[in-house]
Amino acid sequence: MTGNPSSAPRPSRLTARDLTLAYEDRTVVEELDLDIPDGKVTVIVGPNACGKSTLLRALGRLLKPRRGAVLLDGTELARLPTKRIAQVIGLLPQTPVPPEGITVGDLIARGRQPHQKWWQQWSEADEASVSAAMERTGTAELAERPVDELSGGQRQRVWIAMALAQDTDLLLLDEPTTYLDIAHQVEVLDLVRQLNRERGRTVVAVLHDLNQAARYADHLIAMRAGRIVAQGAPVDVVKAELVEEVFGLASVVVPDPVTGGPMVVPGPPRSTDGTSESEGVLGDADGGGATVPAAREAAR
Amino acid sequence: MSGVVGRRLGWLVAALLLLLLAVLLSLAVGSRAIAPSVVWDALLHGGNSADAQVVRSLRVPRTVIGVMVGAALAVAGTVLQGITRNPIAEPGILGISQGASMGVVCAIAFLGVHSLNGYVWYAFLGAGVAAVLIYAVASSGRGGASPVKLALAGAAMNAFLASLISAVLTTDARALDEFRFWDVGSISGRDAAIAGQVWPFLLAGLLLVLAMARGLDALALGDDIARGLGRNVALLRATGALGATVLTGAAVAAAGPITFIGLAVPHMARALVGPGHRWLLPVAALLGPVMLLLADVLGRVVVRPAEVPVAVMTALAGVPFLVVLVRRKTVAA
Amino acid sequence: MTRGGAVGDISGVGGVGGGRPAGHVVLRAGQGSFLVHRRALVVGAVLTVLLAGAGVTSLCVGESFVAPSEVVRVLLGMPSPDQLVVGTLRLPRLVTGLLVGAAFGMSGALIQTMARNPLASPDVIGVTHGAGAATVAAMTFGLTSYTVLPYVSVAGGLLAALLVYLFAWRGGLTASRFVLIGIGISVALGSLTRLLVTKGDYLVAQQAKTWLTGSLNGRGYDQAAPLATVLLLMVPFLLWAARAQRGAAFDDDTATALGIRLGRVRVGLSVLGVVLASVATGAAGPVDFVALLAPQIARRLTRTPHVPLVCSALTGALIVVVADLLARRLLSPLELPVGVFTALVGAPYLMWLIVRTRSSRSGGNA
Repeated sequence: MTGNPSSAPRPSRLTARDLTLAYEDRTVVEELDLDIPDGKVTVIVGPNACGKSTLLRALGRLLKPRRGAVLLDGTELARLPTKRIAQVIGLLPQTPVPPEGITVGDLIARGRQPHQKWWQQWSEADEASVSAAMERTGTAELAERPVDELSGGQRQRVWIAMALAQDTDLLLLDEPTTYLDIAHQVEVLDLVRQLNRERGRTVVAVLHDLNQAARYADHLIAMRAGRIVAQGAPVDVVKAELVEEVFGLASVVVPDPVTGGPMVVPGPPRSTDGTSESEGVLGDADGGGATVPAAREAAR
Repeated sequence: MSGVVGRRLGWLVAALLLLLLAVLLSLAVGSRAIAPSVVWDALLHGGNSADAQVVRSLRVPRTVIGVMVGAALAVAGTVLQGITRNPIAEPGILGISQGASMGVVCAIAFLGVHSLNGYVWYAFLGAGVAAVLIYAVASSGRGGASPVKLALAGAAMNAFLASLISAVLTTDARALDEFRFWDVGSISGRDAAIAGQVWPFLLAGLLLVLAMARGLDALALGDDIARGLGRNVALLRATGALGATVLTGAAVAAAGPITFIGLAVPHMARALVGPGHRWLLPVAALLGPVMLLLADVLGRVVVRPAEVPVAVMTALAGVPFLVVLVRRKTVAA
Repeated sequence: MTRGGAVGDISGVGGVGGGRPAGHVVLRAGQGSFLVHRRALVVGAVLTVLLAGAGVTSLCVGESFVAPSEVVRVLLGMPSPDQLVVGTLRLPRLVTGLLVGAAFGMSGALIQTMARNPLASPDVIGVTHGAGAATVAAMTFGLTSYTVLPYVSVAGGLLAALLVYLFAWRGGLTASRFVLIGIGISVALGSLTRLLVTKGDYLVAQQAKTWLTGSLNGRGYDQAAPLATVLLLMVPFLLWAARAQRGAAFDDDTATALGIRLGRVRVGLSVLGVVLASVATGAAGPVDFVALLAPQIARRLTRTPHVPLVCSALTGALIVVVADLLARRLLSPLELPVGVFTALVGAPYLMWLIVRTRSSRSGGNA
């Protein structure tokens, strides 16, 4: 079920064709076709080990496909010089490691590397991009601090600033909200959307949280066991039956009280043998039991 | 469950048989080949034939020392790998043996100590200081004592001690002459008295280590979990390090620095009986001497009539082993 | 392995306000622009001055004292009564020491960058021990000429390193495999060397021990000339390396995201480090700890996030020249190998490194 993903008139810049991805002898993603809609925020969701991060790594040429290819503007990534790709695709890995002792300003400026040459180490454009990236992420006042001393939230903003300084049309983010508290999660996701809205950048992100995905995505891709189960606008994709199918979780999908988009509310905690423990906690096991069929009912 | 225990018991018996075979080989093979029946005769009934003399005065002490040193190094390696949770920990690579050498050099050059009984204490001291320093270097900074950091700290310590030893020896020609024969680990030409002097240390080290086998099992699960299981992690580490240092010091004092036995044997033992230290330690203690004696026997025959010291044999045999170990995925940075 | 395409990939530094990083200056020339760490520039200048001072001192001091003015006259090619002592006896040794120190300094910087570890040095990747085993073997077979031994030693070092590459290569080169296998091979070669020392006669043992400690005694233009040639030929590659080093500090994924081919960078840096270390070892033997110390001292002086290549070379040269001066004069007339002194400097440094990294975690202790 990989229907037409986007209403964009021209073909997508970043596509995957017949993509099979594997580590050693374990196949993670099999024969997958995908078009990333240009100028939109695409979010990939799915349960643990469904291959979503693997897919993102392949889109960012961190992982070589076993078979098939990822195409950028119709050319296989493997055939492009990695520096050229870096001028078009910015990428934030899941757990980037900063060089020890480096300052924030220095780190963000290294995002300019793909645009620099041996004899051109610092151009006007470099300067402009770095200042813009710092301003946008609110990292300018951190510039002289060592990255090692920053908090998790600040650090994540610095990494995003580095990817921004790279000045690319496409931006791939692998779980950019991991390790952040809820306020910082929202801050980062707001920033991502803002980038997309103001500069028309194409963003692809892997997110854990289904509700955040539904809230921030223009285009949602749900994966399970290395295959795309559904994709499209969140309102079309996020349904209780899909949540059941993808995550194996009974739930109710209600309108988000703030945005009006879909919001997933998990069904009540299930105790496998109906022991009294859950009764003790919840007080009313029967009522809980009644909600699951209700949720399934609602999903129909 | 009983099947597992049975299998482990089987391996233990097999290791014991292998040890007997290795001992017999070590007694029978050499520049003068002696038939096993003659060896047997010489051991049981004495006799004054030339063969009997060779067996009793040369090969028996050599083999006994080989068994002791092999067991000590293998067990020390097992414990070091356990307390550092690091697959490449080994007294030689970590520079602990070199520390013992340093102690011996100082004893010879500055303190006029010329008997094993005298310098075994300096070997302990040197080994202990080196062990503490290396662990301190490796566990500082980011990420704790990873294999690479530990190995590098050991290599730096090795280089440092080697140049200190050179510094001492280039200014003291007499010490060089005495030391250079000890500097290559070997079990040939060692006096039977050495065995008599070393065994108490060996026994003490082995008992100390065997007593903490369960503690090592807990440590394998990580510091936090070990603490959660009610273990005193710092005490465990200190005890283990002490045991390993005593064993290494005794082995180095008796035979000089011998590398790779402490690296390879624990991995072999683990492959046979699994990671539980109550089985691992005894099997390692049996396989260590097997490895050492076989390497020694091989060293006696490869360039007949000359001999290659056992340390060179183990070092050469150890490289392929290390390569295979490192190329497997299990050793991460 | 380091194709031209990868050259000059790496650069960039960020900054306050304008985006340029604090502490950097931009030098512009036509189309070109170069970003230079200001403090590194100053440190480099100071080191150069110190090095010149140490060099002149080393030419003045010896069995007979020569006035600095005469030394300068000789250096400028003017006729001087001290031409023989300064120009023929002391200068060649000084030049060799300078080059050896610079080569070890840079080699250490490259290997430490590649391994991302301040304790890495050419010793751990088999070069020193390979050179040692080959040289001692040659000595055992009666080859004692200091004109021929360097080539034997270089061959041994390169061969050992090649072995390490072969074993560590598995669809690419990771720093951990490279280092671990290098250490294993080093240990094995070290024990072979010891065997040779033991089996050889006493004189060979004495000579081998001295060589294995690293010494400038009796070294001159015969050893310096090949070293200088190799260093000159390597200049373009070193220019590449000076910039590629910055990229090597990232993890694999981030580096790829920035368009850096980290695999190539690693191979390139390590090959350069191996070549530098083996030619330097060939000239003077393994002068211990210079490769370990120089880059770390230089980095602490410049406070750059990476190991500075040029300042490492200057620091290495300074260490060797000063250590050789001490080795020559301290126990005069007894002359010690220079390696003894570098080791004696290295020991306190190692202890200091331990204490320092334990007490402050965030400092520049990469």
